[in-house]
Amino acid sequence: MAMVQPRNLQYRVWAARIVMIALLCLIMFPFLMIISVSFRTGNFATGSLIPDNPSLEHWAMVLGIPYETADGNIIQPTFPVLTWLWNSIKVSLTTSALILMLSTTGAYAFARLRFRLKNHLLTSMMILQMFPAVLALVAFHAFFNKLGGVVPWLGLNTHSALVMSYLGGITMHIWLIKGYFESIDVALEESAYIDGATPWQAFRHILLPLSVPILAVVFVLSFIGVIGEYPIASVLLQGVDKLTLAVGVKQFLYAQNYLWGDFAAAAILTGMPITLVFLMAQRYLVNGLTAGGVKG
Amino acid sequence: MAEVKLTELDKSYDNGKSFVLKNINLHINDGEFIAFVGPSGCGKSTLLRMICGLEDITSGLLELDGERSNDMPPNERSVGMVFQSYALYPHMTVRENMEFGLKLAKADKAEINRRVDQAAKMLQLEKLMERKPKALSGGQRQRVAIGRSIVQEPRLFLFDEPLSNLDVALRVQMRQELAFLHTRLKTTAIYVTHDQVEAMTLADRIVVLSPLAEGAQTNLEQVGAPLELYHNPCNLFVASFIGSPKMNFFRATIVASGASETRIKLECGTELTVCNDTRYANPGDKVTLGIRPQDVLPQDSNIGGKNWITGSIETIERLGNESFVYLKHPDSHEAFIARIEDSMRRERGSEFRVGVPAQNCHLFDAHGKAFKRTQSPKFD
Repeated sequence: MAMVQPRNLQYRVWAARIVMIALLCLIMFPFLMIISVSFRTGNFATGSLIPDNPSLEHWAMVLGIPYETADGNIIQPTFPVLTWLWNSIKVSLTTSALILMLSTTGAYAFARLRFRLKNHLLTSMMILQMFPAVLALVAFHAFFNKLGGVVPWLGLNTHSALVMSYLGGITMHIWLIKGYFESIDVALEESAYIDGATPWQAFRHILLPLSVPILAVVFVLSFIGVIGEYPIASVLLQGVDKLTLAVGVKQFLYAQNYLWGDFAAAAILTGMPITLVFLMAQRYLVNGLTAGGVKG
Repeated sequence: MAEVKLTELDKSYDNGKSFVLKNINLHINDGEFIAFVGPSGCGKSTLLRMICGLEDITSGLLELDGERSNDMPPNERSVGMVFQSYALYPHMTVRENMEFGLKLAKADKAEINRRVDQAAKMLQLEKLMERKPKALSGGQRQRVAIGRSIVQEPRLFLFDEPLSNLDVALRVQMRQELAFLHTRLKTTAIYVTHDQVEAMTLADRIVVLSPLAEGAQTNLEQVGAPLELYHNPCNLFVASFIGSPKMNFFRATIVASGASETRIKLECGTELTVCNDTRYANPGDKVTLGIRPQDVLPQDSNIGGKNWITGSIETIERLGNESFVYLKHPDSHEAFIARIEDSMRRERGSEFRVGVPAQNCHLFDAHGKAFKRTQSPKFD
């Protein structure tokens, strides 16, 4: 926008930059601290930002490599952290994929079809979602405990049970996608019907490809939400091999002995898949997919 | 190629509380070009969408080629439609847009290419085939939309105000291309427009629809050839809708009725003779006189005979080849417009006398129904 600007704009630009840099420091500092802790010898939460004698012991521990200390002792890794990481990725990817399938089809119904009580359903879903899922922890536990008796692969301490419980939280995604669908002209699908498409084909070949940006957003959001989720996972999963990373890293923090160094290394590991997913999703977050389809 | 037959078609919302279309009866012959015209809100687009299956039919019968099609989904009707907004698939190239329907139908690859290339050639789209819609101009997009329905070889073309988003010059050009296309393909076509010039120039027959009035039996006003509607409108609505500028109307009463000539009197006292068959009317009946701006004669003409209407000048629009004089007359609802051929400057407020040839007059009864004209011009 090439609008004419008053002369004191320069000062304001600089002021804005300073505020932004300050904000960035505020956000970056804890992150840098975690990195620093993970390379520090011993388990100390405090210390200088650049470690005095950096060591890889925590990273070796987390990556499951036996580590030889300076005095010749070999330390075996205590926990299967890489398994936890894999568990987290597995659960997050399946959940996000299933959420995407359920919420796009659900949003399609709410955006395009006419049925009774549509608006009531939408509002009641919204209201239900306002209660945090944590409130239902006991219910989840009891439910999957019983279910496991009938369907073993959906019982407690299974990843499928965890995925199932996460699938309840799709209301926000439905609203998000519904809003996007409604911004796409119905005439596009109508013209597909005229071209001989069934409703499913119009959805699959016209509506979905045009909604890729919002689908990427929903995928990333649900991925982040699931990979960092603690309460439900901590209740449903019990075996050490089954834990997700978010629950597992808690194991490094005994009441008597806080293994801050190992904890920090594992925490950074958790951030890696999120970063990767985000980088991959970025290429789909583009504007103007629908440009030129209809005369506005 | 298709015949379309509508029998007592209704469309209503809210369980029959509000009707949009009522009692539509229409028979469209194979290969015919039909235009639906009417002011906005008359349901012409709704009627079109009912024919292609995008709106459901409340009651009545829709037959395509003699087969009841009320409940057939749009993808099985094999009709082609061009939307007002073009509705091109923005994520596909022009070629993919045109192939889409054929690919869904799992047509043979060679056949798809043949049809797409043929349509592209016909519509001069060959150089644009690999572009996305956003890289096209309005006219080109419209051509792609037409091409997309041509390649399907539908039995029926539906056009929903296809030219209303184009600028005037392009509209005239596309209008001619559409006319040419129809003579070439000879597919039955239904064309919705609010632009009567498009309807008059393109259509074999025009269907005039009106917004449904309270208690009206139907909102289909008249069906006929363009000139038939122009010269012999069956009621006040059609008379005022067809023709530009609009027909002038005057309140009058019958003085003497007759089979070939009628004597009427305007409320201001002016007596006129008109060529209308009013055998079934009585002297004293209230009527409406209609005369088109193009059908009057200027005051210095001698051909006017004894029929004159005098008004005072409000404004004059001088267009060079012609002028429209807006007159004030006590019996006319709106300004009385007269077309004259000179472009002289005239004093505002001065009296202006207009000749009203008897054979050019239209006469309508109190319900708006037209009396038959006895000397209307010949046309084929």
